[in-house]
Amino acid sequence: MKRRSFLLGTASGLAVVANTEHVFAKALAQAPLPGLPGSADRCLVVINLYGGNDGLNCIVPHGDERYYQVRPALAIARNDVLAIDAQVGLNPGMRSLKALYDKGMVAIVQGVGYPNPDHSHFRSTEIWQTAAPDRYEHTGWLGRYFDEASPSQNNLFKGVSVSKVLPEVLVSDRTDIPAIAELGDYAMVADRDASARRAFSNEARDRRLPFDSPYLAHVMEVEGNAQRSSEELPNLVAGYTTKASYPATGLGRSLALAAQIVGSNLGTKAIYVEHGSFDTHVSQVTTQNRLLTQLSNAIGAFYEDLAAHGNDRRVLTLTFSEFGRRIDENGSRGTDHGEASPLFLIGGGVKGGLYGALPDLGSTNMGNVRYTIDFRSVYATVLERWLGRPSATVLDGVFEKLPVLS
Amino acid sequence: MAAQAQIDVGGILRPQGRPDFPTALQPHHGPLGERAAAHLLRRAGFGGAPDDIRRYAAMRAQDAVAALLDIPSPTSIAPPQQLDELTHPLSMATDPLQRTMLDQPMTMTRRKTFREHMQVIFALQLWWLNRMLTTPAPLQEKMTFYFHGHFTSLATPLFPWITYNQNALFRRYALGNLRELTRDVSKDAAMLIYLNGAQNVAAHPNENYARELMELFTLGVDHYTENDVRESARAWTGWRVDRRSDTVTLDASQHDSGVKTFLGRTGNFTGDDVVNVIFEQHQCARFFAASLLSWFVYNDPEPQLVDSVAAILRRHDFELRPVLSTLLSSSVFYSARAYRALVKSPVEFVIGTYKTLGLPAVDQSALPALQQMGQRLYFPPSVAGWPGGQNWITSGTMIARQNFLTRLLGSQTLAASSWLRGLPVTSASAARALAETILQGDAAPASFVELESYLGGTGSAALASLSLENYYQRVRGAAYLAMATPAYQLN
Repeated sequence: MKRRSFLLGTASGLAVVANTEHVFAKALAQAPLPGLPGSADRCLVVINLYGGNDGLNCIVPHGDERYYQVRPALAIARNDVLAIDAQVGLNPGMRSLKALYDKGMVAIVQGVGYPNPDHSHFRSTEIWQTAAPDRYEHTGWLGRYFDEASPSQNNLFKGVSVSKVLPEVLVSDRTDIPAIAELGDYAMVADRDASARRAFSNEARDRRLPFDSPYLAHVMEVEGNAQRSSEELPNLVAGYTTKASYPATGLGRSLALAAQIVGSNLGTKAIYVEHGSFDTHVSQVTTQNRLLTQLSNAIGAFYEDLAAHGNDRRVLTLTFSEFGRRIDENGSRGTDHGEASPLFLIGGGVKGGLYGALPDLGSTNMGNVRYTIDFRSVYATVLERWLGRPSATVLDGVFEKLPVLS
Repeated sequence: MAAQAQIDVGGILRPQGRPDFPTALQPHHGPLGERAAAHLLRRAGFGGAPDDIRRYAAMRAQDAVAALLDIPSPTSIAPPQQLDELTHPLSMATDPLQRTMLDQPMTMTRRKTFREHMQVIFALQLWWLNRMLTTPAPLQEKMTFYFHGHFTSLATPLFPWITYNQNALFRRYALGNLRELTRDVSKDAAMLIYLNGAQNVAAHPNENYARELMELFTLGVDHYTENDVRESARAWTGWRVDRRSDTVTLDASQHDSGVKTFLGRTGNFTGDDVVNVIFEQHQCARFFAASLLSWFVYNDPEPQLVDSVAAILRRHDFELRPVLSTLLSSSVFYSARAYRALVKSPVEFVIGTYKTLGLPAVDQSALPALQQMGQRLYFPPSVAGWPGGQNWITSGTMIARQNFLTRLLGSQTLAASSWLRGLPVTSASAARALAETILQGDAAPASFVELESYLGGTGSAALASLSLENYYQRVRGAAYLAMATPAYQLN
């Protein structure tokens, strides 16, 4: 945000000018600019609920009698639902998330999907990650955000994937994003040999090679990044003390690392974590309730930890899953691949509440929940109103923004 | 990140300087020498063992290429045992409404079957990696690998025979005819499943395959209209897959046998006719010429070079043998513009390392390592294949590459690598031998200095005075240092 252009652009009305001055007074007092989209200290955490999270048993339509008819074996009893209102409530495992909801920190968006839904895990995951339902993209939407925003290339941690492999969502053309499953994992094994490490750094600095290659500069630069970032990371995050007790689950560990990265102020704009598998073709209730409990508890601890460091408003968490599941249960006390599903936005600047239409169990798309909100609307909202960047290039189109952020 | 002016589109770069077009495709003269031999073996295969490189170094380019073009009959190649043992593929119902095989309702037994079948896919991956390593005809596997990234399909874990059969189809056409391959792969079960050809019926045409056939497989964007896509989709209607038996049939009742107008031609075209019309377009030859040049020579080749190669394709009716023979023995292939001008894919990096070290077989540990480097065989990230080039290199994949090397260079590897075990014992000669054998000398002066000083153990015992165990440990560390260099990432 350039102050001058902002003031010039709004100088036509006194009231507006006064208002902007007020924003800046506040901003200066609390640098760095917490109130403005895209300010340096804002971070987006994306949680991939992989496998296809069943929407109807996550945000339960306990006021809809048809739900109990189509899900005789799987429906969650009215008494067990953590009711939000007379129509919907949360899965009984999600007490921590319900507590955040009651504080106004959670937005639930229902019926999110895309046209011509694909039922393959691989393809639908790719669609959500690349934000390209109608074409094949090799970059992810967050990867394109980084390329478009081109934050300082010197920052090696502008994005972090808490995973072993870089997910497609963070694949970009110009931005090197590290995948860090665990702190100890992001290391070069050979670095344990101090003389090998020294030799490696020394040889990496010499560019007098007896050949030229269009890729040489890139390889040398990234080799340097890899060594520098893996070497520096443990020191950069060493000063952080975790102030919440995270559940001993994979997601708990991932979010603890995410909080540590945010709290270490590395200039990280986006963090990716994953949780699953929600592919509940059989015995859904046990599996999904366990996974949703783990999700809710880990997010509860995450925001407790963030709040204890004054970081809770800096972090917006967005969940997604490649699809919801079939409305009718199958013969194995499970559900098959479906279409639209709900997602959560949590934390920083969220206007808590329910968004999007309740799934209409009477009017389905061949047995699946119809989508009423395009997932790219959610991305556009996050890009523009949280990360403060234009979304049309990144998403290859203009999508309606949702009023979920204050 | 190296945001230089030379980047055109997604990670594709063209080397600097101008080639000499009139002589670019003339044969390279004289014996190859080790650098050019290693270059040829990296591009036409997956790298050379030190002995192979020495053998090819004495040959002229045309003789070396003739040797590479001599491939065994694909019928002599047996599928992996695990696949053979899978005698009862699947007792699963196939629901025509379901859009992919992974959308099957799974009972407990079926779920177990899925896991078991993933094990078969892993076995297929390992089997292919070992073929790449041990085949006497590496070009056959290199072309199979090229087609896998070009005519992409995803693995079909529940029906692994379908995955294998597509791989075998590509191998059969390794030096075959591009038009015939395109006709056959259009009716291949894995392709019909992946791009929804199996759901394409006269009443409701599914255009997915028709579009990708032109956009990604044969012509490129902007060389056809939306109407061509629709008309082609009509011609492709009616193909059905029986997944259990991997049989593909044309259901005449679902086929649209009406008149179509496609790329300016009119007739009651079938799918085969569509392929024939596509291959009549000059753009089709240019498309494959550019694709082969980018795979074997360098990325983003100049239009003049593309046109020359396209002319060879047309002259030989899209037979691959003549065009590959010309390309791999051409001056431009051995020019400085082409040398190390590509990035090793993870598969090339891994197999090349096994080759360089002289190891006999790829083991299971290569599979997770390849995944961390960003490449799983039979699982291309999208229908466009692996974007490759610059996209292979990120901090995470570089760490994965280095850690793969460190883990591979354990004591067992040393026991299996005779040249590494027999390295000279003075640090200067050992450093030179490592840089020559691993990098063909493509190292910066600092690398020689560092290798020598690492081997010499500055401040500690000299190489010759070490216990055997400590000596070998030093050698392993030095081999790692030679392989961790930038040159080693380039193909």
